[in-house]
Amino acid sequence: MSATPSSRQSDYVGRHLRFGWWSLFVFLLLGATLETLHGFKVGFYLDASNETRRLMWTLAHAHGALLGLVNIAAGLSMRALPELPGDGRLPLISTALLAATVLLPAGFFASGVVFYSGDPGVGIALVPVGAACLAIAVFLLARAVTALSGTSEGGTERRRRG
Amino acid sequence: MIRRSPVVRSRFRPPVPAAALLVGATALGVAAALSLEPIVPEASVEHRPIAVSEDDYVSSTTCRSCHPSQYATWHGSFHRTMTQVATPESVRADFDAIVVEAVPGRPMRLERRGDEFWAEFDDPGWEGAPRDRPRITRQVVMITGSHHQNIYWYATGHDRALNVLPGVYLLEEDRWTPRNAVVLAPPGQGVAMLDGHWNAVCIDCHTTHGKTRFDTPFLSEPIRDQAVDTTVAELGIACEACHGPAAAHVAANRNPLRRYQLHTGGAPDPTIVEPTRLDPQRSSQVCGQCHSIWEFPDAAGERAASAGGLPYRPGDELRATRFVAQPRVNGRSDTMQALIAADPDFVRGSFWPDGLVRVSGREYNGLLDSPCFADATEPERTLSCFSCHTMHKTPEDPRTVAEWADTHQVSAGMDGNAACTQCHAPIAADLPAHTNHAPESTGSRCYNCHMPYTSYGLLRAIRSHTVTSPSVRESVELGRPNACNLCHLDRTLAWSADHLREWYAQPAPRLDDNERSVAASILWLLRGDAGQRALAAWSYGWEPAQEVSGTSWMVPYLGELLGDRYDAVRFIAARSLRTIPGFETLQYDFAGDRQDRIEAAVGALRAWRNGSLARARRDPELLFGVDGTLDTAAMRRIFDQRDNRPLFLRE
Repeated sequence: MSATPSSRQSDYVGRHLRFGWWSLFVFLLLGATLETLHGFKVGFYLDASNETRRLMWTLAHAHGALLGLVNIAAGLSMRALPELPGDGRLPLISTALLAATVLLPAGFFASGVVFYSGDPGVGIALVPVGAACLAIAVFLLARAVTALSGTSEGGTERRRRG
Repeated sequence: MIRRSPVVRSRFRPPVPAAALLVGATALGVAAALSLEPIVPEASVEHRPIAVSEDDYVSSTTCRSCHPSQYATWHGSFHRTMTQVATPESVRADFDAIVVEAVPGRPMRLERRGDEFWAEFDDPGWEGAPRDRPRITRQVVMITGSHHQNIYWYATGHDRALNVLPGVYLLEEDRWTPRNAVVLAPPGQGVAMLDGHWNAVCIDCHTTHGKTRFDTPFLSEPIRDQAVDTTVAELGIACEACHGPAAAHVAANRNPLRRYQLHTGGAPDPTIVEPTRLDPQRSSQVCGQCHSIWEFPDAAGERAASAGGLPYRPGDELRATRFVAQPRVNGRSDTMQALIAADPDFVRGSFWPDGLVRVSGREYNGLLDSPCFADATEPERTLSCFSCHTMHKTPEDPRTVAEWADTHQVSAGMDGNAACTQCHAPIAADLPAHTNHAPESTGSRCYNCHMPYTSYGLLRAIRSHTVTSPSVRESVELGRPNACNLCHLDRTLAWSADHLREWYAQPAPRLDDNERSVAASILWLLRGDAGQRALAAWSYGWEPAQEVSGTSWMVPYLGELLGDRYDAVRFIAARSLRTIPGFETLQYDFAGDRQDRIEAAVGALRAWRNGSLARARRDPELLFGVDGTLDTAAMRRIFDQRDNRPLFLRE
């Protein structure tokens, strides 16, 4: 195995670091906006009749920011583990993670724009899709890391015997 | 060389400070939980009615998660707080070692014991000699009313039976007053103060799905021999009072696909009743189940309701299970005759002689007799409760929930002429042509002429909910004050009759000398029955009427009522008197000692005579001579014509 990421893997590292940091920036702005709505007691966001909007937008902010961090973590993982096996799955992992990073907060946000009393708007349909993408990405990445762990430990044993 | 990844190989070992922090936080959490007052399960409460979820009622807490907006506006309404358990949050009066003098008999002593409220007072159930009447000490467990009054109910100690404290707390005035002083009743009469009265009577309309659950009918035997196991679905008027039991609705809507189908389709959900989607008759009956004068059609119906709750459910035909008293329609029915036989004042205590309701809280009766409801043929042009009121403040309504609740839950914009002009558009196009008043004046407000303050309740005048037109004939023949003279307090019935004839071609009725020459409000105030006096006294404090009629001349007339036999009339007169410049700080206790009241009235009259107000008006209609002196002899002559028949208005 190579000690440095392949150029293809480097592409993914860069993609997720960029996406992660920009996501953090975007959802930082959203967080600041929500705080401003709080600060000025804007009824459109805070009234009891808008409780669903408030919840959905809070969830959008929280998921967006968290997934930004997950993207950064994924990018850093790919760089720290250049021997990450399952290289062929990287496009799927990366695409699923990016899709999740868009769909989850977008779904929550859209479902708070128009909603039905205690039920979020139809935008909420994006959320389970995003959740599925995230589950796929995390599962494949976890499996790859686990496989790497087995490979690394085996290699060490072999090297000791040698 | 293969680098070993510390990420892969490392094992988590919490650092000591983090572990200490975790243990500390846990300990704090446990300590906080232990310091909370233990929550007493409702089912274990034995000395008051309890809330139970049964018969498919699920309670408002279940509704809240899916309908937060509707829940929030209901939660801010006085419907929710119609009946509450007595807690430090719900009790508005001070119970901290307070002595209340304003009760019958010896003073009532109030005491706070932790979060409990206790009262010591004369035993109302004592049947021996009055001088031997013992004192009893009871825990206050429930409250009815939260807008104008707190009525406190104590646990009698017999099963779940409640009785009422001898004093009522007036919220706006921040004072206690005798229980029967807050109703318009002759001295010594008024509402019953019996063990079990709340359980048997009040429960029907002050709770959601109440079940009296007496083992034998109330008053059929001494209550100490009866079992009283009263339950409710919810204290106060909650969601299911108007929407019906919601268990099926909750179960069906666990399915998100069903919910979104309903959201996007716009069709009504058949598992729940939405009153605003009902036709005007049925939707108004939802309100009318409580806001009406009704009785059980027969004893069997009452027994069944005692055991299983009232059978009416929103959307049902109300009259299928209730007798709604409507003298104009069913005055001669067997049921009405039976009610009158049992209580000869049943009709007079609630209705004007022509059958229109005259007490508050019975607005559905008023609606039934309104032509906009009774004679309407098109549902979309039929008046209903929801034409003007809404049970949930809309997000577009700029008022706060508290403001909306405080103004009778009138819909946004419906506190003005829009309520009427939504159907009567041509009148709105040229308002003065119809009203003969300036368009911005209170005389051009539809409500003031067509829903005047001719109902009584809660120590004030209430707008009639029967839509009528001003009529001097009704004032003469029925005694019901007319809208013109409730505002133009300084004018005679003849003056109003002339204008109504000129403007609307109304035939002028035959008037006696006083009706032609003395201001109508003075006649109601001096010679009217207690109900008329109360309405007139309230109008003397009504700002639009004061602006039109002036106030300088009112003092001797309101002063006269400070000595009225009826507590409620005295209370209202004093309140109106305090709105007149110079009398804001009038020292007068309507429930106080009679001699003190007389002295206060004399003092007010003296202050008026010695001030500049006395000679401000010289109108003969107000019984002033040309020199501005008051014709007390004429006052006495009119006073001597007073209708002194006892009157108890059953609000």
